[in-house]
Amino acid sequence: MFKSFSTQILQHLIAQNTWACSMLQPFAGKSVRITIAPVHSTLMILEDGTLAMAGETNIPDASINIAPSLLPRLIAKDEAAKLQIEVTGDTHLATALAKVLSHLRWDYEDDLSKLVGDVPANKIGTFARSSVQSLKGAGINFASMLSEYWQEEKPMLAKKRHVDQFNHDVDHLRSDVERFEKRLQKLAKAREASTATSQAGDSGTIPNNQVTDSVK
Amino acid sequence: MTSEQNTHFGFKTVAETEKAKKVAEVFHSVANKYDLMNDVMSAGLHRSWKRFAVSISGVNPGDKVLDIAGGSGDLSKLFAQKVGPEGQVILTDINASMLGVGRDRMLDAGLNVPAMQCDAEKLPFPDQYFDCVIVAFGLRNMTHKDKALAEMQRVLKVGGRLLVLEFSKVWQPLSKAYDVYSFKLLPLMGKLLAKDADSYQYLAESIRMHPDQETLKQMMVDAGLSKVDYYNLAAGVVALHKGYKT
Repeated sequence: MFKSFSTQILQHLIAQNTWACSMLQPFAGKSVRITIAPVHSTLMILEDGTLAMAGETNIPDASINIAPSLLPRLIAKDEAAKLQIEVTGDTHLATALAKVLSHLRWDYEDDLSKLVGDVPANKIGTFARSSVQSLKGAGINFASMLSEYWQEEKPMLAKKRHVDQFNHDVDHLRSDVERFEKRLQKLAKAREASTATSQAGDSGTIPNNQVTDSVK
Repeated sequence: MTSEQNTHFGFKTVAETEKAKKVAEVFHSVANKYDLMNDVMSAGLHRSWKRFAVSISGVNPGDKVLDIAGGSGDLSKLFAQKVGPEGQVILTDINASMLGVGRDRMLDAGLNVPAMQCDAEKLPFPDQYFDCVIVAFGLRNMTHKDKALAEMQRVLKVGGRLLVLEFSKVWQPLSKAYDVYSFKLLPLMGKLLAKDADSYQYLAESIRMHPDQETLKQMMVDAGLSKVDYYNLAAGVVALHKGYKT
């Protein structure tokens, strides 16, 4: 039942995005397994360029593995996160399917128009879009208000410029330490060399100020 | 009579030559109430199973489709809409009574679907003619399933698909409840609605004698089909097998 229902949804979406058929048709008969641990499902490309869920014994031609930790970044459209998606098997097929899936859009106004008519569907769609936009704006405002409160009134969050300064100081300290280590190594080497020379030539010890000069 | 010449008719063993006659009697008897009984027995689910089969077929406008054991023409009607006026759907059934019901329905719907009475074990079509062949709830009534599958494979074009929608082996935890339904309720419904308990007793028995999902898959592979896969529908009460001719 789940496969039947999911197939119906996929085919409905493909019917609304007709450009997808021509992209998928060259891969007809092939299947791709998509895993977002612990959930996975296998999609099959049909001969008419639509998609369906694969059967019980299908062997996929390609696999796409998405780590659950990547999901929030992918939702936020982080391009760097896309590079961390693991693709195995027929990569050409997997890339084409991933491209289609990421560009599929549900034309809910079209579906709604079949129930309530074109004009009401458009009005409802416009209202829904503006509501979502307002909610998004309100959310961003609320988040910046909280951030300001926790930075200025009741400091719990570090300010960006403080974090940048801290990072800069840490970098500076790291380079100082590295330089210091190099100097110590040079000093140690010079000491070893002078000890060896004094033992070989029996010419006494080299004064300390000569060693210091050589590593300056 | 040797054992090779015998076959099963439900739980009974009959001569191979008799099976087709007995199956024909069953379907002559139920033809008029076939749809009503299907709806009652499956709670209308048989319609969604058939729609699913059509959606999985991948049939394009202009394709040629053969509907074997098409009976009342549900699938032919759906396929005719999908292939459009440039395509071709042929409805076939070995049983004249069932075919008559399907043919009349196509005419009433204004669809140009030729109806042909023919035996699936000897299909009267050339090699590599169809893009898709489907047999729904018909394979289990055929005497030589292997021959019928080989014939279906023969008439398919390279790249064509064979779809077999048929009762199958139900998910184990539900098998007892399914047995009660099949052997107690089904004949009772047949008696009350179609006035024919025996035919529905045969239906329940023939389902149990039909190969399970994996066996049918292997039979399709043996018939020359490749990439055979199946979908369990309603917890395995029905399975849809799909295979390609390569």
